[in-house]
Amino acid sequence: MKHIAFILLAWMHIFQTGQGTFVSKNAKISLFSKAPLEDIDATSTKGTSVFNAQTGDLAFSVPIHSFQFEKSLMQEHFNENYMESDKYPNATFKGKVQENVDVTKDGSYPITVAGTLVVHGVKQNRTIKGNLMVKNGAVTMTAEFVVMCKDHNIDIPKLVFQKIAESIQVKVEANYNAYKK
Amino acid sequence: MKIKLLAATVLLLAMQQTYAQKTAKDSSSTDSLMKSLSSDDKAEPVTAAFKSTMLILTPTTETIKKKNLNFMVVHRFGDIAGSQGGGKTLWGLDNSSDIYIGFEYGLTDNLDIDFGRSKYEQLINLGLKYNFLQQTTDGSVPVAMTIIGQTGLKPYHVTTTVFDDYTNRLNYFAQLILSRKFSSRLSLEVAPSFTRNNLPYPFLVGNGNNIFSLTAAGRLKLTKRMGVVVDYVHPFSHFRRNSNSPKFYNPLGVGIEMETGGHVFTLNFTNAQAISPMNYISDTESSWTKGQYRLGFTITRVFDLNGKHKGTYK
Repeated sequence: MKHIAFILLAWMHIFQTGQGTFVSKNAKISLFSKAPLEDIDATSTKGTSVFNAQTGDLAFSVPIHSFQFEKSLMQEHFNENYMESDKYPNATFKGKVQENVDVTKDGSYPITVAGTLVVHGVKQNRTIKGNLMVKNGAVTMTAEFVVMCKDHNIDIPKLVFQKIAESIQVKVEANYNAYKK
Repeated sequence: MKIKLLAATVLLLAMQQTYAQKTAKDSSSTDSLMKSLSSDDKAEPVTAAFKSTMLILTPTTETIKKKNLNFMVVHRFGDIAGSQGGGKTLWGLDNSSDIYIGFEYGLTDNLDIDFGRSKYEQLINLGLKYNFLQQTTDGSVPVAMTIIGQTGLKPYHVTTTVFDDYTNRLNYFAQLILSRKFSSRLSLEVAPSFTRNNLPYPFLVGNGNNIFSLTAAGRLKLTKRMGVVVDYVHPFSHFRRNSNSPKFYNPLGVGIEMETGGHVFTLNFTNAQAISPMNYISDTESSWTKGQYRLGFTITRVFDLNGKHKGTYK
C-alpha cells in the first residue's frame, strides 16, 4: 500500500512539472489583401505563442512593426495610417482549443479555437479553424482566416490613391517547442 | 497500517488540491509566459517621424529607402502683402520667387543621393544624406540623427559680375539633424548647420564666407494624414544682424502637411524667398512684419523602383 502511494505521488509530481506547455518564439504570420492597384502582402516571423496542451489555452501575439512589406512606403502607411502601431503595437489572440488533442501521439488534428482577437485595439470574438500537427514531440499549428477592416475600426479613407481592400487574409504558422523552466 | 494509509490518502488529496489549483491558474500562467516571451523582444526602430524628407525650409531625418526615387516640386510665390503684394499681383500668385525641382534616390535604406535645381540664383545642388542613428521604441536611443552634405553651383552671372571664376560660384552646406518622435502626433527636430559660400553672398563689404545656423522645426498631426508644420532657421551672423541696407531676417515658415498615399503636399507661408538652405540662410531679406511673406507648396512623390512585386503570401 505504501509503495502504491509513493508511486502515485511520483506520478503526480511528473504530471505537475508544467508538462504540456509549448512555446513558439518565431511564429510566421502573413497578410494578404487584393487591391485594385496592386496586391498588398506582408510577413512577420516575430509572432510569439503559448499553447497549453492540458487546458487547451492558446495565446498569440505579433508586433505590428515587425511586418515586412516589399514596398517600404506601404509598410509606413500600414503602420502609420491603418494599424497605428504606435498606439496599438501588437495584434493578439487569446482563446481555447475546443478539441482534446493528445500531443504525445504523432498525427494531424483539425482544431477549432474560440477566443478573442485584438487587432487595432478592437476586440472581436472569433472561432477560428486550424490544424495541429504533432511530429516527434514537436507541435505545429496552422490557421488561415479573414480580418475585416471595419470590424476593427481600420478606416479606409476616400482620398487615398492606393486603395486597400476591406478584408485581409491572415495566415499563421507556429512551430512549438516544449517549454522548459 | 490503517493510519499510514490514511496519511498517504491525506497527502494524496493535498497534492490533488495543489494540482487542481495549478490547472485553475493555468490561463494566467499562459498570460505571464506570453509576457515574458514578448519582453524578450528587441527594441524596434521608430519609423516615420516625418512624412517626407523636407518640412518647409529644413530637411528632416527621413531618408528615401533603397531603390526608391523621391520627386519633389517646391514653389514659393511672391509677397502676399507689402509693396510687392496686394491685388495687383493677385497677392503674390503672379510671381514666383523660387521654384525647386529635386530628385532623391535611395542608395541604401539609410543613405540617399540628392540632386536639385533652384530658380533662385539658378543654384544646382548635389549631395548625400545619411541617417546614421535611429530612435528606438524602448527609448534606449532617444533621437534619430541624419547628416547632410551638399555642394552647390551657381552656373550663371546673376546679380554680380565677380562670378567669373567657377570656384567663386561654389557653395557648401552641411547639416546635422536630430529628431525625436515624441508620440505618433508630435515630432520635433533641431539641426545645426554650416553654410559656406566661396564668394560671400550677397556680395557686400563685410560679409563673411561662413555662416553657422540652427534650425528648430516640428510637426503636430491633427488627423492621421494631416498635420501642422512649423520651421524656423536662425543664422548666426554678425554681418546679417547689424546690416541695415539690406536688412536680413530669419526665415520662418508655418504650414499644413497632407498625405494622400504616395504623395505628400505641404501648403505653407514663409518669409524666405528661396528654397535651398544655401540661398535662404545667406540671403533672406524679406520680413513677415512688412507683409513680405508668401504662399508656398511642396509636392513630393515616392516611386518604388524595386521592380515587379513578387508577393510573399504563400
